Amino acid sequence: MSAHRTLSCITPPFILTRLLDSDNHAIRDAALSTLLTSAQLRGERGVRSLIAGALVTPGDGRRSIFDCRHSTFLPSATLVRSEGEADVADVSVNQAFNGLGTTRDFFRTVFQRDSIDGRGMRLLGYVHRGRHYNNAFWDGQEMVFGDGDGEVFSDFTGSLGVIAHELAHGVTEHTAGLEYHNQSGALNESLSDVAGAMVTQWFLQQTADQADWLIGAEVFTPNIDADALRSMKAPGTAFDNKLFGKDPQPDHMDRFVELPDTDQGDNGGVHINSGIPNKAFYLLATGIGGYSWDAPGRIWYESMKASTATTEFQGFADITLRKAEELYGTESREQQAVKEAWSGVGIQVSTTPTLRRQ
Amino acid sequence: MRVSLTTHGGLAAAITRQLPPRVADTDQLSPEVAAELRGLIDAVRGDPPGRPDPAARDAMTYTIVVEHGPEPTTLTASDTAMTKSFADLLDWVERNAA
Repeated sequence: MSAHRTLSCITPPFILTRLLDSDNHAIRDAALSTLLTSAQLRGERGVRSLIAGALVTPGDGRRSIFDCRHSTFLPSATLVRSEGEADVADVSVNQAFNGLGTTRDFFRTVFQRDSIDGRGMRLLGYVHRGRHYNNAFWDGQEMVFGDGDGEVFSDFTGSLGVIAHELAHGVTEHTAGLEYHNQSGALNESLSDVAGAMVTQWFLQQTADQADWLIGAEVFTPNIDADALRSMKAPGTAFDNKLFGKDPQPDHMDRFVELPDTDQGDNGGVHINSGIPNKAFYLLATGIGGYSWDAPGRIWYESMKASTATTEFQGFADITLRKAEELYGTESREQQAVKEAWSGVGIQVSTTPTLRRQ
Repeated sequence: MRVSLTTHGGLAAAITRQLPPRVADTDQLSPEVAAELRGLIDAVRGDPPGRPDPAARDAMTYTIVVEHGPEPTTLTASDTAMTKSFADLLDWVERNAA
């Protein structure tokens, strides 16, 4: 189904917003199409912000998937599948739709969280962005997926872990709001990887011991000698090949990688040093045993909600110890496992505040 | 004229940061294709990029360096602040650079 039309409309945005909540699919899609068409016609950033605001109003986590048709200009994308509609012919559309739905259901079922913002925010997914686009990202309002270049990377919607990773960036933004650079940024990245792993394991009903703890194993083409983008079980071992070298992720504070807080330095290595808290979560999950989303996931999720924009590794680790105590008791098995997990990556935890790392 | 593209960030930042720049040299292009490239570069120069959205996560940034004359020109953009002219140039470089 295509809802992309070029018409102008004088219906006020607040009415269109109300129509987005209609139980009638046709009305809902027409309202959404009209909002998007208005942005395309006017091409104004202000209009785009207005629409974004309308689309993030409570909507019970309803999904809308848009086809960018290889453009990088999202407002020109076409709505191709909405909540309640059947599969379409486009595999990427269905994968994005199903992946966002699984992730939404995970947060709702496991953590009693209603979508990204906890208030039913709509889930907007964009597929086929650009040509040969080797990435997926969260733009602050929407999740965007590339097809890959077909040589190194394939369709990023093919990985449930990647979809959950991007949605989880929205959850982090609406909770801790971790700044996206240096340690707070690496923690932000790690929380998304943790969500990606938990959602995948929840979908497959795998215990911590059964899971592979790989992030993005599905995004490489068969030509590429790489296990995944990252390994939470063994950071630094996800790939090692002639084309793009060895996985640079550290698995311990002794190997923390100092990088400049620039685009070239990955904002202080946010995708590099995330290996350290990733490994800590893996150690916690396997230390406690069973399903990662039970006690380990609950401790991490509550700690994320208790964190601030500038929380770093040590601060987060200390929060997890406190949360384990609050949730499971002083010197409980879970709290002991938290201590051991952080110790395994070179971070000693205590319930008294510590100074920030210089 | 020599044009090089480097890409940073993104979900696969650990990989992309280790990839070499992609380079196109107009000496090795047909006159028509070289003229097309010059036109795309001129369009970007006249169309300044927007400011990247600070709320974006895993977005990529692109740096295109044009070496022609005494001073190289550096053109940058990100996934969340991509002008059409830059997108067109990026698409050209990705299709034609080695």
